[in-house]
Amino acid sequence: MANAVHIVVCAGIVPDPLQTLEPITGPNGPGLKNEMVLPAVLDPWAASALYEAASLAAKNPGSKVWLVSLGPKAKLQQVMMTVAQKVHFDLVPIDGPIGGFPDAHSTAAALAGAINAIPGLDKAKLLLFGGWESATRGAGVTLQLTGELLSITDQFQGVDQIDLRDDGSFEVLERVEGGKHQVSVCAGTPAVLGWATGNLAEPRNNPQVGMVNMRTIMPALQKAKPATLAANGLRYVSVGLPKQQRTTRVVKDLTPDQIAAELVEWIGAE
Amino acid sequence: MENLLVLTHVDETGSALTKASLEAVTAGRELAARLGASLTIGIVAADAAAAAGVLASTGARLLAVSGEAFAQPRYTSDAAACEALCRAAAATIVLAPGSSRFSRVGAGVAHRLGGFIDTHITALGGTEAVEATRWFYRQRVEAVLSRDARPWFLLLDAGTHAAFAGEPAAVAVEQVSVELPPLRTTVTGIHAPKQDAQTIRPNAKLLLVAGAGWTKKQADGKIHAEEAGDLILGFLRAAGASLGSSKSLVDQRGEDQPVLPFLTHLNQIGQTGATPRHAMGLSTCCHGEEPHVVGWRFIADRRAISLDPNCGWTRGKADVVYIADAFQVMAKVNALLGAGAGK
Amino acid sequence: MSADALNTETPAEPIDRPSMEVDIACAGFGPAMGGFLTTLTRAWSAHPEDPAFESKVAPGMPLQVLCYERADDLAAGVSGVVTRAQSIRASFPDLNPAEIPMAAEVKQERVLYLLDPIGASRRSLTLRVADAALRTAGPLLGLLDHAFELPWTPAFLHKHGGLVMSIGQFNQWVGSQVLAGGLVQIWPGTPVSAPIFSETNGKHDPAAEAVLGLRLADQGVDRSGAPADGFMAGMDVRAQLTIVGDGPVGAVGQALDARLGLPPGHARREWALGMKMVIELPEDISNPDALNKDALAKDAVIRNASGNPSPLQPGTVWHTFGYPEPEIFGFLYVHPDRLVSVGIFVPSWMGDPSRTAYRYLQHYIQHPALWRYLKDGTLRSWGAKSLEESGKRGEPFLAGNGFARIGEGSGSTNMLTGSGVDEAWATGTQLAEAVVELLRAGKPFDRKNLADTYEARRRASWVERGALEAQNARNGFHGGIVKGMIGMALAGLTGGRLSLGAHIPPAPKQIHLESSRLKIKNGTVLALADGRPLHDALLTACGWPEIPFDGRLLVSHQDALLMGGKVQAMPGFADHVVFRDIQLCISCTEMTCVAMCSGQALTQGADGMISFEREKCVHCGACLWNCALSPDGEHSNIEFSAGAGGLHSAEN
Repeated sequence: MANAVHIVVCAGIVPDPLQTLEPITGPNGPGLKNEMVLPAVLDPWAASALYEAASLAAKNPGSKVWLVSLGPKAKLQQVMMTVAQKVHFDLVPIDGPIGGFPDAHSTAAALAGAINAIPGLDKAKLLLFGGWESATRGAGVTLQLTGELLSITDQFQGVDQIDLRDDGSFEVLERVEGGKHQVSVCAGTPAVLGWATGNLAEPRNNPQVGMVNMRTIMPALQKAKPATLAANGLRYVSVGLPKQQRTTRVVKDLTPDQIAAELVEWIGAE
Repeated sequence: MENLLVLTHVDETGSALTKASLEAVTAGRELAARLGASLTIGIVAADAAAAAGVLASTGARLLAVSGEAFAQPRYTSDAAACEALCRAAAATIVLAPGSSRFSRVGAGVAHRLGGFIDTHITALGGTEAVEATRWFYRQRVEAVLSRDARPWFLLLDAGTHAAFAGEPAAVAVEQVSVELPPLRTTVTGIHAPKQDAQTIRPNAKLLLVAGAGWTKKQADGKIHAEEAGDLILGFLRAAGASLGSSKSLVDQRGEDQPVLPFLTHLNQIGQTGATPRHAMGLSTCCHGEEPHVVGWRFIADRRAISLDPNCGWTRGKADVVYIADAFQVMAKVNALLGAGAGK
Repeated sequence: MSADALNTETPAEPIDRPSMEVDIACAGFGPAMGGFLTTLTRAWSAHPEDPAFESKVAPGMPLQVLCYERADDLAAGVSGVVTRAQSIRASFPDLNPAEIPMAAEVKQERVLYLLDPIGASRRSLTLRVADAALRTAGPLLGLLDHAFELPWTPAFLHKHGGLVMSIGQFNQWVGSQVLAGGLVQIWPGTPVSAPIFSETNGKHDPAAEAVLGLRLADQGVDRSGAPADGFMAGMDVRAQLTIVGDGPVGAVGQALDARLGLPPGHARREWALGMKMVIELPEDISNPDALNKDALAKDAVIRNASGNPSPLQPGTVWHTFGYPEPEIFGFLYVHPDRLVSVGIFVPSWMGDPSRTAYRYLQHYIQHPALWRYLKDGTLRSWGAKSLEESGKRGEPFLAGNGFARIGEGSGSTNMLTGSGVDEAWATGTQLAEAVVELLRAGKPFDRKNLADTYEARRRASWVERGALEAQNARNGFHGGIVKGMIGMALAGLTGGRLSLGAHIPPAPKQIHLESSRLKIKNGTVLALADGRPLHDALLTACGWPEIPFDGRLLVSHQDALLMGGKVQAMPGFADHVVFRDIQLCISCTEMTCVAMCSGQALTQGADGMISFEREKCVHCGACLWNCALSPDGEHSNIEFSAGAGGLHSAEN
């Protein structure tokens, strides 16, 4: 295969999924308590996209991967310390707010602006990758909007697989209802692919990859352009934790037989 | 006054509206009535006649984009179709099901119309202004939001409204013509899950949640993965249940330790997986795992089997917790269900 | 040199191991490494053109300095501390605590002797008599909530002018600044398995040994370390200088000790497990009008005995002793934003093999003197760590050919003042100054040059003076708590000139085998019958009341692993806890390793065998010194090596 592609992966940073989250409302709208203190990771689905991008680039010599990420510079730096050991990429950081509450349309505009400014990016060869949803806003719209802003009209969401063919066309598997995949064939780049989990394991930490990446990541971070995100009339009426607290009946003294009988009755399948 | 448009599409038969589309119709009718807004329903289908008949009793203006090109769920054609329907309806608020088909194009269409979009809406409230409820941070933070800008697209989560069911009748549908750009993508088919297609059943009444405890050492100090797999599959078959799993269990694939070979990432629920809607949920061997918190947020009636009477993860989240060994209980359950404890 | 010649103990390995050359390779990122890298980065950035800073392995580039940290995040520290911060302030003269989340200036210090309000604690007759006298004279002495406040805080315990901090947040803050400096790369989530030793042709001459760099842990291996799917051999990072700052239970430090031994007369026999919770205090909304609004927003506001609101100011520091067991010291540090760190230290000299930490910590926070403040609080975070308490007596060879050791693993902790962070930072800065001096002089990093520069600086500094003062301060504890307190006071008040002598046995021998066999048996039976963890069952068997779980602050240990600190482990690494002689474990009735395991990662099966779950390990290292059946009389039957994962909390 000799289809050199230019892959731009849009990936935000999100609180480590194991953390306890508590929303608060500040002068700039809703946010998370201690959001800057919580450990952050690369958005899990977007991370799948990054690993898939690296794998695709490795299979197609001449390809290149950029990682475009919007977040507070200090947090981006922290996350890069882990991510940069995984796969080769050039970081395009945008110094902006953290969290899922800013408007996705503004985020998309900032991302598209940054992508348009990437030197050497051939948009005819562009595959715009990202997660199909983020673990913060979880709207699944930012990547589509970014694609539209870049005038890319072949878009795929919930992608678990891409097979790039010799003629430049590619087959895509998208998750659809019922645990199934829709199979599509696209004539070629440019295209937008919002990834689900994909099929690749998380790459091992490779110190050499990290060393090479970091040489460009730190200068890029230092030059990161600040972005303010317009609210676009988005108003939050309320933000809170789910209030639903159930009264849990703890059953301690039944034998497995008794429990099984109760469960079968509950299931109603007897 | 708002002009409300509900976008709908047909299922793989090519003629029947999807359940999620009919749910959006219900939501649209309720909202239009509350706002005193005009209601238009747009249909995307190769042939919209049958679908339109089902909507006759809504009394709404019906628009359709039809033709073979629209049989395929595909970004270029669907975006053009939805854009044309929105323009024809002069829509200020657009409701659509958050199906894979409309989730793919909703944002792009909103952008083309100079509008804005919010997705995964679980409720529509407000009297003066429309207030939409949705979740952030993977179902861990709930927010109600509103927008002044129009058009405003709202994609509804499945299962949040009853599906519209009206008497089918012949009805006039206004065809909206669309000039398609060259199509570079072709849908070539559907792949069913490769492994044990029976384990994911979105329409099942019950969701069985299997946690990482199934493949941990049991009381005898040994791992019983094969027995665990038999018990789980036996139960799924006997109860017609769907299977969800925690990330930690799914991630055991490929590790050098016993795994449940029928599990894939498609089964994953919780933080980085799905949040399916089922009437009932039974959680097993999940102590402390996210399914207790996030994965079964939309399960109505929840029970759990746990060895730990003090498990804080079930407290306040499950309706009933049985303190017992899931291996023993599920073997008995399967026996009672007539499945036998194994295969 | 070929890879197979690196270690004379292992045969030629077939693994194709990648290798890279750097100038300085560092193991572990904590306060000591923070001090080293901060000082080195500053020296370089002040004179980046100085040829001394040119890399030898990448000519034309600045020094290639790489630091590898085992934990998944630099903020995944496990320690809330109070520190005098003199060396930290020396590095950051304009330090503003507000820049570091959870940091506050020390404002108030108290020392409390806690009586046992329950009657479950194991108190000697002497102590019981003293307690009775104290209770009788209570009204006169101001006894409140079963606690007696010492009228003054001994000077050696003072931390005035210091800082209350979260080490996790401090590490994060330092790491960000170091990285932004552009000289150093720090890589978390990357365990270092061992130092690379030069070939010695079978001769064991510590003076001739040389360290050539660091070997990173293999990835894509099964639990036993054998190559599996996605195998990637750990890289050899070769360096002129290897800095070892991986703490008291770090794999590199342990390997150096095993290879070189310790200096004559030195031994690592005294340990403690520090375990603590970060608790968010409740907002008192019962009488908000009576409260200062600023105080309500920033401080922990509670009601005192008279029912009046009484803020627990950020910067408040409590030291406690006497409860839950006489041997267990405790602390409470108040951070900004209504957060407190509360914890205990369970020492090796406690003797009783039915010792544990989590359950004791639960009883500790419920002591009336603390519970008054903590009740209705929420557990935000939790963590544990082994403290190397031998101090100067456990000091290893500080430097050798191609390597130097800094921080707690180098024996810098002062056990009299209970201070380690400040000392660790200082040793890092001392080494950095030494390295810069050698670079400028064009001298190699050999044993003599490092001794002349680093070791000499350290010996001449306050760190060494403090270490000498402290080295015998805790001797008395091996003869009981009362003797221990007297010995500590003696050493503290005389600057170490006077102290009690003691024979300090190896850690395994400090466990009194016969003292509580019955309790252990009862506990084991209870644990197996009830499915509860051994440590929990043990304390119930010892007469401690059950914990009234509230699902928020008083939660099961298993829940704490998930809600307080969040433990997880990346797949693809080998088990880092390995049993050396399984037969010894099977014959063991004490199972102190299980009872003391902070993460419930070690559990006993019905067959008597102990098993390890990597996914639950918080890397506290307690199993290294809580083993009653040592195969060699000195060391644990458990091998604790480099592993990934652990706690994922930034608030520790």
